[in-house]
Amino acid sequence: MTAGILHAFASQTFPSPTPSTVPGANIFTSAFILSIGIWGPVVMAFVIGVLPNPRGRYDTLIKQIAFFTNLMVLFILFVAYNQFQNFLPSLQYEENRQWLPAIGASYHLGVDGPGILMVMLSALVGIISVLASTGIRTRVRSYFALLLLTQACVTGAIVAHDLFVLVLFWSAATVPLALLILGWGGPRREAAAWRLVGYWGAGTVALVLAVAGIYVATGATSFDMEVVLKAPIGARAEVIIGLALLIAGATRLPLFPLHGWVRDVYSDAPIGVVVVVASSASRLGAYVLLRVLVAGEPDGAKLLAPLIAGIAAVTVVYAAIAALRSVDIRHAAANLALVPGGVTALGLAALTPLSITGSVLSLFAGGMASALIVSVFATVSDRAQTRNALALSGLAARMPKLAWLTVLAGLGVLGVPVMASFTANEMTFFGAFRTQPVGAFAVAAGLALTAIAVAVLIQRVLFGPPNPDAPAVSDSSLSETWFLGLLAGALLWVGIVPGGPKIPGTDTPLFDPGVVNQMVANIPEIAAPYSGTTTP
Amino acid sequence: MVIAPLATFVIAVSSVRTRRGSVNTAMLGALVTLAATLLVGWGLAKRTTGFTASYVYLTANVGLNGPIAFQNFEVDIVLHADHLAVVALAVVELCLIGVLGWHRIAGRNEPGPARFQALISALLFGCVGTLLSTDLAELFTFWALAGGATYLMLAHRWGDEAAARSGRIALVLPFLTDLFLLCGIAVLYSRYGQQNLSLLVPALHTTAGWTVRQIVVASVLLFVGVAGRMALWPLHSWLTGTATTAPPAASAIAAAVWPVVGVTVLYRLLPIFVNSNADTMRWFVIACGISAVLAGLYSLVSMEPRKALILAGAGVTAVGAAITIHGFQYRGFTFAVAGLACVYAAAPARAAGALAASNIATAMRTEDMRQMGDAWRRMRSSATVLLGVAIALAVSAAGALAIGVDSRTRFGITLGEAVFVVAVAAMRVFLVASSGPLHRRRAFDPDRVRDAPRASLGWPYWLVLASLVLFAASLVPPLLTFLDNGKHATATAAAYALWVAIAVAGLAAAALPIGSNKVGSLRASSWLSLLPERLESAGQNVLGRYVVNPAVSIVERTERLVPAADAAVGRISHLSGRYAVAALHSGDVGVLVMMAVLLSLLVALLSPGVLR
Repeated sequence: MTAGILHAFASQTFPSPTPSTVPGANIFTSAFILSIGIWGPVVMAFVIGVLPNPRGRYDTLIKQIAFFTNLMVLFILFVAYNQFQNFLPSLQYEENRQWLPAIGASYHLGVDGPGILMVMLSALVGIISVLASTGIRTRVRSYFALLLLTQACVTGAIVAHDLFVLVLFWSAATVPLALLILGWGGPRREAAAWRLVGYWGAGTVALVLAVAGIYVATGATSFDMEVVLKAPIGARAEVIIGLALLIAGATRLPLFPLHGWVRDVYSDAPIGVVVVVASSASRLGAYVLLRVLVAGEPDGAKLLAPLIAGIAAVTVVYAAIAALRSVDIRHAAANLALVPGGVTALGLAALTPLSITGSVLSLFAGGMASALIVSVFATVSDRAQTRNALALSGLAARMPKLAWLTVLAGLGVLGVPVMASFTANEMTFFGAFRTQPVGAFAVAAGLALTAIAVAVLIQRVLFGPPNPDAPAVSDSSLSETWFLGLLAGALLWVGIVPGGPKIPGTDTPLFDPGVVNQMVANIPEIAAPYSGTTTP
Repeated sequence: MVIAPLATFVIAVSSVRTRRGSVNTAMLGALVTLAATLLVGWGLAKRTTGFTASYVYLTANVGLNGPIAFQNFEVDIVLHADHLAVVALAVVELCLIGVLGWHRIAGRNEPGPARFQALISALLFGCVGTLLSTDLAELFTFWALAGGATYLMLAHRWGDEAAARSGRIALVLPFLTDLFLLCGIAVLYSRYGQQNLSLLVPALHTTAGWTVRQIVVASVLLFVGVAGRMALWPLHSWLTGTATTAPPAASAIAAAVWPVVGVTVLYRLLPIFVNSNADTMRWFVIACGISAVLAGLYSLVSMEPRKALILAGAGVTAVGAAITIHGFQYRGFTFAVAGLACVYAAAPARAAGALAASNIATAMRTEDMRQMGDAWRRMRSSATVLLGVAIALAVSAAGALAIGVDSRTRFGITLGEAVFVVAVAAMRVFLVASSGPLHRRRAFDPDRVRDAPRASLGWPYWLVLASLVLFAASLVPPLLTFLDNGKHATATAAAYALWVAIAVAGLAAAALPIGSNKVGSLRASSWLSLLPERLESAGQNVLGRYVVNPAVSIVERTERLVPAADAAVGRISHLSGRYAVAALHSGDVGVLVMMAVLLSLLVALLSPGVLR
């Protein structure tokens, strides 16, 4: 079989505009490549679920199964990315099967530029979350089965191209996450789980209403995005639908004032779950805004743009001040994790090609930065045996690895040069100043406040005079270093080489922000604000 | 030139642990970069155009329709080494080498030596990148890198609460002005789709739909962004606020390097400013003139020698910036570059001043000039450096003023006042520290005051000497020609004499009050310093009362309100669920009532006027 794959690898010469010839192109010609990404983890979750595990004898095996499942998914999606053709204004790896013809729902999957980037993020986060969960000792079987189910739901919501399927995956992700928090969370796990269910449930209701509105307004014949998002809807209906979508997106991303779940979940969920929630699961909020509101309801998006920009600015400023006032370092980190979401929302509000590209890159970079800041402070609090910033001081000398990672996390949230978030922020700001200058400036001012918050937090926790009364501390373990290092490494990698390191012998960059072409190409209105201002 | 400091940084971070090793690594990196710079300068000696190297950093296709300029977003690393960049870099590297040499001996007790030296290499990397950049996004990237390294250097003494607190000023204020710079670049990009200066400037007035207002807004944002890092008054507090808490080497480097980098970037951005309108340019010149005078006056009332010297230096920088902008106001005149020469000449003196003042403050164990004295006898070397610094700061602008400013105009009179006040302020520091008795205080014996270790004393001397050499060079038109390839008129001897005389008059004027009554003059300074302190305090109170406290209060209330609100919603849901269950248990009547309620709600929502 390996020889066959290698032979196929060597002999493929498929013509394509960009890249011209990619080693490994069409290695996976399977029509189910995205389904494998969704249902593979589900099957393995089932296998783990039924695996007998008397007195935890096979705990290690279960962890290995979860890890290798995610590794395999990442490998498959990596190859999918490698085969992805940048300049095609259509969906790729499309799967379309009729499912419920009576209501027009179909099992329609596919990815375009932002989709493939998000899928890669989700797959990478899958591996990182398993690495972050190696410390789980109780009910290992249930934990990893639920983690894989979460992974599947998130991937499903990303690749779904049917609104009915999107809502199903979107809402389904809440259940395993809530169970994970309830079962393995910290002292306030019940409050955290119920808040997650409450807010995400409210978001799901809003999304269901928006989808129902779109469905009804477009003739109630189909849920397929290709059909319903291209059908004309009145401006007033678009605004109402847009408001519902905004509520749905704001509960997930999250944006002020629908961020109530963040503090409890980020500070009381197990670290592996925090990684998933802070990176890929919460980015679904922005992804839905991008996919449905910006791409599907441009009139509504234009009318709501100032509101979204205002919410983005308030979110960033609020997060910075709240982080500055927090005494609990996990609460402070949770507040700081709101910042990248605000930048993403600003890019979507600006509705220019560059700002949207910045937002798409920000989905990746912001997800990584949020996950890193939350998980690194969770690790610090675990290792230092306290979450009280007043008790923590001078840890840098005693936990050098975590100190470096904490500094990188802070820089990642701020978006300083060489971090991926810098490129994303730069593109977002450059694009946003054309249409939302006030919002862009307010978000920039919020970033200045965030800088103070990060500096105060890092100075207090890492570099202050050592506190002799504080509990004993230790540096991160190997697995913790690995998963935090992976998050930081991804931020640095895309930051230093935003065009992506080239695969030898190809012109295909990884994480090329240009993949957003597919999105913009379908929305000629987005380029309209520039018309007449420059000489073509 | 770019790789040497980067490689030094990587080596320092990854493999150097000892203090001596880290200092040697940083020094080697600076020397190699200087050698590369001089090599490039030699290559440029007989060329009129610079050397350019270009690399693609980011190319993103962001649109398939609309104007071509907006279909691609490109950030290219375009390194353009022209004459101006080479001279600016040489000055920066000289300052760094001088400070590193001093720090190698005098900074032995600083914590985290490897980290500190690595940051110096990072700063040099950022500066080299900034000075060689012609792409605005690239420029901002390097600028922000250098800014980050500067903050980390100024806040290097993290363990000290006072240093950490003042370090926050060094983070916030420049970061905020950096954001102004970013916003300025973003405004330009959003209108023109260009970031490369050589392509952007010609497009400013030829692009369809351009307006003066857009360029004015961008110019103001860019100017504030650059002025913040140049520490022009009133954006100086990030330097003065950290002068006593940061390591002296960090303070000296920040005070010397950023004006050079800032004024060079300002010079590169001026073609954009010129395209705004004459009023904008005039206001920039007026702002710089006022800043120059007020910086000098603030220095006069400052009671801390390092702060006083930083403010005096800020006055010189403002004079240089004013001349540079003024030079661009008139097409055909080429004296703008003389303003740069003035700032370049003052830079090494500023570094030397910070080091010498730090030596004296450390030896006399006080930051208050009222408690200083007798340094000429007890610390002759450092006192001599302070004298040299005062002379260098006073005269550094003379060449530029003689070439570019008519002394009989209001502009000339304003800058003359600034030079005079700066000279008085700089000389005051020397005189106060050097003359008069050094009184015995509690736990302080004046007889035990010694100068800094001998091996460190030579470096400030060399810096002062470099400053005087650069000043002498600024009087010679060939240097200005080397900088901008333009033809420069030579000023008359009388003009040079006039401006030097103003500086000398300032130096002499400082001697009169301090020589006759040192205690009285210091008391007067102290009394006068109350006014700006009170103003500053009142400003902080207003800011706190009307901006900070309400914002914090709102956030704190929201922090309490959000969980309370969602908990209440949760309780209501729970209660309603219980009632629903109870209704179901009560039989058909309950179900009917519930269905009726739901149905009426549904009808109400769907009725005309609600949804439609």
